[in-house]
Amino acid sequence: MIGWIDSRLGVDSWARKALRKVFPDHWSFLLGEIALFTFIVLVATGVFLTLFYRPDATPVVYEGPYAPLRGREVSAAYESVLRLSFEVRAGLVMRQIHHWAALVFVASIVVHAARVFFTGAFRRPREINWLVGVGLLVMALMMGFTGYSLPDDLLSGTGLRIGYSAIISIPFIGPYLAYLAFGGEFPSEGVISRLFVMHVMLFPAIIIGLISAHLAILVRQKHAQFPAAGRTETNVVGKRLWPSQVFKSTGLMLITAAVLAVMGGLVQINAIWEYGPFDATTVSSPAQPDWYMGWLEGAIRLWPPFEPHFFGITLPAMFIPSVLLPGIFFTLFALWPFVEARAIKDHEEHHLLDHPRDVPFRTAVGAGGLAFVTVLTLAGGNDVLALMFNVPVESVTWFLRVAIFVVPAAVAAVTYRIALELRDGDRRVFGRKKATFLERSASGGYEEKP
Amino acid sequence: MRGATLTAVAVIVFVGASLGSGVARAQEDPMREARDLFVSNCASCHGADGQGTEAGPSLQGVGEASADFQLRTGRMPLSNPDAPTLRKPPAFDEDEIALLVAYVGSLGVGPEIPRVDPESGELPQGSELFIAHCAACHGATATGGAVGGNAFAPGLHESSPLTVAEAMITGPGEMPVFAFSEGERNSILRYVEYLRTTESPGGFDIGGIGPVSEGYVAWVLAMLILVLTVVVIGTQRGEKGS
Amino acid sequence: MNAERGVQLAFVLSTLSSIGLVIVYLRGGDPQLEGLLLGAGLGGLGIGIAVWATRLMNSPEVTEDRESLVSPAEGEPGPLEGEGEAVTRRSALVRMLIGAGGTLTAALAIPTLSLGPTPGSSLRQTKWTAGARLVTAAGQALRPADIPFEGVTTAFPEGEVGSADSQTVVIRLRPGLLQLDGRAATWTPEDCVAYSKICTHAGCPVGLYRSAAHELLCPCHQSTFDVLRGAVPVFGPAARALPQLPLGLDDEGYLVALGDFPEPVGPSFWNLERGGDE
Repeated sequence: MIGWIDSRLGVDSWARKALRKVFPDHWSFLLGEIALFTFIVLVATGVFLTLFYRPDATPVVYEGPYAPLRGREVSAAYESVLRLSFEVRAGLVMRQIHHWAALVFVASIVVHAARVFFTGAFRRPREINWLVGVGLLVMALMMGFTGYSLPDDLLSGTGLRIGYSAIISIPFIGPYLAYLAFGGEFPSEGVISRLFVMHVMLFPAIIIGLISAHLAILVRQKHAQFPAAGRTETNVVGKRLWPSQVFKSTGLMLITAAVLAVMGGLVQINAIWEYGPFDATTVSSPAQPDWYMGWLEGAIRLWPPFEPHFFGITLPAMFIPSVLLPGIFFTLFALWPFVEARAIKDHEEHHLLDHPRDVPFRTAVGAGGLAFVTVLTLAGGNDVLALMFNVPVESVTWFLRVAIFVVPAAVAAVTYRIALELRDGDRRVFGRKKATFLERSASGGYEEKP
Repeated sequence: MRGATLTAVAVIVFVGASLGSGVARAQEDPMREARDLFVSNCASCHGADGQGTEAGPSLQGVGEASADFQLRTGRMPLSNPDAPTLRKPPAFDEDEIALLVAYVGSLGVGPEIPRVDPESGELPQGSELFIAHCAACHGATATGGAVGGNAFAPGLHESSPLTVAEAMITGPGEMPVFAFSEGERNSILRYVEYLRTTESPGGFDIGGIGPVSEGYVAWVLAMLILVLTVVVIGTQRGEKGS
Repeated sequence: MNAERGVQLAFVLSTLSSIGLVIVYLRGGDPQLEGLLLGAGLGGLGIGIAVWATRLMNSPEVTEDRESLVSPAEGEPGPLEGEGEAVTRRSALVRMLIGAGGTLTAALAIPTLSLGPTPGSSLRQTKWTAGARLVTAAGQALRPADIPFEGVTTAFPEGEVGSADSQTVVIRLRPGLLQLDGRAATWTPEDCVAYSKICTHAGCPVGLYRSAAHELLCPCHQSTFDVLRGAVPVFGPAARALPQLPLGLDDEGYLVALGDFPEPVGPSFWNLERGGDE
């Protein structure tokens, strides 16, 4: 059969070369593949969902099997998701797999990005791929936000309202932009179908383009590798694509899909029937977005009531935590390879990776950054924390307002120390120095030698 | 003969009076018993006549519904007036509760104990009203919520329909008073029952509080398994990490 | 069990699970079984393949050279040169080409403005007008006595039930508690006070009322507003008080608005104070 294809496309020599390609063989290099395979699951389940979903805000009366909503007026979009969940065979499991996959998609991108950051794989010549990767992270967030807003339920609609208010808070152009994006004052009739176009057509096209670029650049530049015997800046030591890497990756893909499938069947997620249809005059609690938006939610909750006015212009309270903060964060994140190269004056090509301990400063910055985002994410659920620990929500908020400064700094400092110690091989166990050698000198005394 | 008749009349009058006052005393007794119960358990904070003190508010006019709610849910008696009022096993038995409720009811005009019949409620109306009026504090699935300060709207999965109805009518603590009709109230009660008894169609419901627990599960369950898988697949036998 | 047996077992398990999945579907479906069987079908296959790859393959470690990414140097003409000189030489034309192309691109982007209307004054107005009766979500007009003490009601202008920007909370307080000044104090017939329900922080409906503390709490980001003092924020990220609706009574004793809110409702925007169109 391969001969049949080859005699029509002439791919034999290309195929041989491709299948013999060598890829370095460390487990941490597979983390990005979790994201890739999760994306495949998202597309596969997403196509199924698209065949049943109606991106339509027109009110209809629900007459399906879910008793508490029977006879209620809901949007056609919401009704279609209820129908998919309760009346379409395999509908609920597909929906739940899709939503779990979305949460895991962003998580796996974050883990992969952390690996790339801490090993310095973003250095020349891989800066372009780093930027592509940051773009993929941002797109993943946008896909998630637009996707979970499609069912038009009370919880996601509240999130849309907050997004609208964030856009409005932009000085000078905010109200214009918000009306353009939403098609009018909130809640606008057309926003659901617009989100649908973004989520099903525009953003997936962009993501597929970025993923293709990401992989093509990786293949062209060849994967980086950890330093070891026999490995240099001008070679790649590892296993061939066929059969070793193909089998490992295929196995990982199927196992990723399996984990998502089991979760989709056994663990309930996004039970929109519990929230009820969106109603701009009602809100339930607790009110949180999906986890990957939690850091923004936390920033909004922790930010003090700061709304200065000067010369008749107001700086709305939402602007800094919901627009400026993510803008600065992602800009710094994207520009890091260039900032670091400038700062340490290193513009060489690097194909050998760093061990995190060998670059204590970068590792400390990365750890501090992760700690910062983690504290913000926890702050996004401050009311849940208050309920769980039976403390006033005001206390949780104040605690986290202090923690957002103290914890990242402490984590960075401790990480720096640990990295330094590990790097210098100077292990202090409970304050005792590492054993040294004693040498007897000619005069009879003993001398310590390291 | 006159002496005998007089004596007979005197005996009859005396016995009658004794019997009469005995009956009257029996009628006084329940209230006395109730008052005694109140004075020994409640008056230190609420005053002997329920007029209120620095430690506790006046109970004059709070009604039987209020007393019944507080006593049945064990929120009262409260040993420390500054402590939050939390649901506990009731400190009194049914008869004692009835007495205290009657006593508090006698202190002024207030809401009576409502009739509850969740079965007669309509589920769609109940879910609509619950989401519009209750979910913001008690949570979309009635699992409770933090409402600021030391106040927490409790979860309703362990509450009886009667006490839920009494809470709606009397607005205990930080809870507002709701002027629902009896039918609306029954519908809400029916929906709360539904929330409590219905199984989640999607599997384990991990708390019913939405994205926070979903996020934890995605990291602690899915990512842990997947990263471990990657470590196992990606590490050759006989080789260590890197 | 050796690795090969393990792989065989995994593949068999996968096959059986896939068949089981089809059977479950044909018999009506069940989300939990579907998930488990699909997971087992995928996972059996995946684990089998992974074990095959890690235990049954003898893939040696191989070394491959990296090509240099930097192209060989000067002297050679660049990729745009040679025949491309017809372009690179005519720099004036190239500049005009870029200028015209850029302008065209900007012009092509103009239809994005069709995506929505300009805000105009819509952010400054709601559907409340002088004389509009307050009605509940069920459409019933409200008298102060209809609202219990320590009770909270959501109200709309008559005829505009459900209007998102007009949503209002009405609270009836016991006499002597309100601490309002100036004209705000005259907007409280029989100690009923009405505020916009839209949080001035991020626009969520302020759905929580703490009847003992007399505070409105927004569940989204915990902005807390003091009802007795004009809904000024006392905790949380909101920086602006909830606008107060001027309330009065009509001849039949029903609650009516005396006019629209005196300032814009909802989250702040840059020219909140200036007035006029955006």
